[in-house]
Amino acid sequence: MKRLQSIICVPLIFGSLLLGLSGCSSKAVQSGGDVQSGQQGAGKGSNEGGVSQNIPDTSFSGQNGSGGLRGLDKNPSEERLGGNALTAKADPGSASRQMEEVRAEQIASVAAGLRDVFFAYDSFAISEEGRQSLARNAEWIKSNPGAQLKVEGHCDERGTSAYNLVLGEKRAKSVRNYLVELGVAPKQLSVVSYGKERPVCTEHAESCYSQNRRGHLVVKAGK
Amino acid sequence: MTFRIVVFISLCLSVGLAWIIESGATDVFLEATRPDFQKIPLGVAGIDNSGGADSPAGRIRLGNRIEEVLKADVRRSQVFSLVDLPSIGIKVGSLGAVPDPEFKKAAEQGVSVIVWGKAGMTNDAKDPDVNMDGYVYDAGNDEMVGGKRYAGATSVVRLMAHRFADELVFRYTGEPGIARTKIAYVSEQGSARELFVMDYDGYDARQLTADGFLNLMPKWSPDRRFIVFTSYRNRNTQNIDMIELATGKRWTLVSLSGLNITPALSPDGNFLAFASSHEGNSELYSLDTRTKAMQRLTVHAGGDLSPSWSPSGRELVFTSDRSGGPQIFLMSMDGTNVRRLTFEGDYNAAPAWSPRGNWIAYVCRSPKKEYKICLITPDGQKRVQLTSGPGVDDSPSWSPDGRHLVFSSTAGGKSQIYMINADGKDLERITFTGTHNSAPAWSPAS
Repeated sequence: MKRLQSIICVPLIFGSLLLGLSGCSSKAVQSGGDVQSGQQGAGKGSNEGGVSQNIPDTSFSGQNGSGGLRGLDKNPSEERLGGNALTAKADPGSASRQMEEVRAEQIASVAAGLRDVFFAYDSFAISEEGRQSLARNAEWIKSNPGAQLKVEGHCDERGTSAYNLVLGEKRAKSVRNYLVELGVAPKQLSVVSYGKERPVCTEHAESCYSQNRRGHLVVKAGK
Repeated sequence: MTFRIVVFISLCLSVGLAWIIESGATDVFLEATRPDFQKIPLGVAGIDNSGGADSPAGRIRLGNRIEEVLKADVRRSQVFSLVDLPSIGIKVGSLGAVPDPEFKKAAEQGVSVIVWGKAGMTNDAKDPDVNMDGYVYDAGNDEMVGGKRYAGATSVVRLMAHRFADELVFRYTGEPGIARTKIAYVSEQGSARELFVMDYDGYDARQLTADGFLNLMPKWSPDRRFIVFTSYRNRNTQNIDMIELATGKRWTLVSLSGLNITPALSPDGNFLAFASSHEGNSELYSLDTRTKAMQRLTVHAGGDLSPSWSPSGRELVFTSDRSGGPQIFLMSMDGTNVRRLTFEGDYNAAPAWSPRGNWIAYVCRSPKKEYKICLITPDGQKRVQLTSGPGVDDSPSWSPDGRHLVFSSTAGGKSQIYMINADGKDLERITFTGTHNSAPAWSPAS
């Protein structure tokens, strides 16, 4: 008796789940669409962005009951299984563009002779040596008032990826603030944290860690 | 100004109140796997190769392949204990009468469930079809209690085994199982870090993004249709993006100035919690995805990040360095009732609330300065260190059944993804290729 119930109920639950899902997706198409706002539309001068008014419906009321399973059957009928529905699109143009721009920035930064600032473990305080490097960097920036610079904060591999992004931002802001103290125009400087995601070396040793705990100045290419 | 003072006072009050108000006991659900839960002994009596096609590369032993995947799923389910039938003198394969007399012999030795079946391929050389039959013998009933018949393209061979495993778990626990779940993660591609999705056992990885820079910290929407993550589309700003898996459509949800990191959708999908530094330092916000109204949740000079929702959606656990080094804190979803959860050690971060509610996993720094995975109960009463040894462990993420965790670790040199039982047993590496795989996020159950 119990088994009979489940044979009837499971397809019912599955069916209503499907209905619910298709309801969601049709809504998403109406309200959503592919906006790609980060890439083209809002591109220029959109540093002060905000919160999107165009968010697809992410509401979820399902209870994950049977997970689409139909239960066992003494005389099972054939279930046809579909392939993997993941078809996310890559943006091959973006990858090569990024690589070119990174290279251009590296060349410009090396040409400017900008120095990195290194930090102690878990710290975002600027050392005496760091101050000397930044004094030299400040001279270059002040004599190139048209240059736009990015202050990158980096961390070593220890600790969590997420918390290192916060620590990296603190390091970048320390560098930015000290440069401003030295008379650099704040509008020439922007700040970004890469946490531990862009290391210059990957060995698990202090000799490498100390190179990755850095504030790095980049002369921005183009916009 | 007065607003700030009021907020400050209410914050002080709520911190004080936290000592009086107990954490939401309703967030703790009963487990199917209680400590006294006895795993059900299950034996696989062979998935026979029912013939069919010879492939150009030689005969494909489909049955053997499916049997291997099925056994691994059964072992990982933690609902069954896998019995090696030949080792207790039970013959497997090429079964005669159904149920085979051997089954009764196995039952007398304590095996509760026996599964068997066959799999083969149609002779269409161009577009062969795979067929699989699977059957279940239950010792309690002493009969074949049911089966499944699957058909599909060669690309779904592993899915057949996974689906059959989930049917077994469903029959014996009423839960849908985890064998068809997925794991989203970050993988290094050249100098970039891109998003990928793979099966829960590490197979069938697919690339989701190819921006050429950084994409970090993916999390699933509760309906499994979307992934939210931190994206550096132009290298200078971090936005919170969302991608639809089935179509690749992409939306930028949050593009405030400064850091926009660690997004997490609420269990009902209606709120996106995230960290942003656009008002100075990193604070937590909640975005109502229906009204697009944004609410600030934390007000503190310290950095707040990494929100994770309780299963009820009423509370958040997060990282904050307001008391010095990073520690784990709890609060209500409206930002009230903030209280510190971790007091042991000077570095605790990246919390993840179990879908069952009873544990919060996080990264703890051990006295030996090693970054390991710890578990703590939401009331702070029980704490255990789950992993040990060298290497930096990061980004714990729960399976939807709350019985497993995935996390990244540099224990083997490069950062790779590992799975472990919530009781600390059965550590298993699940990514083997690439220079860096990290930030695993386990999908909800389908």
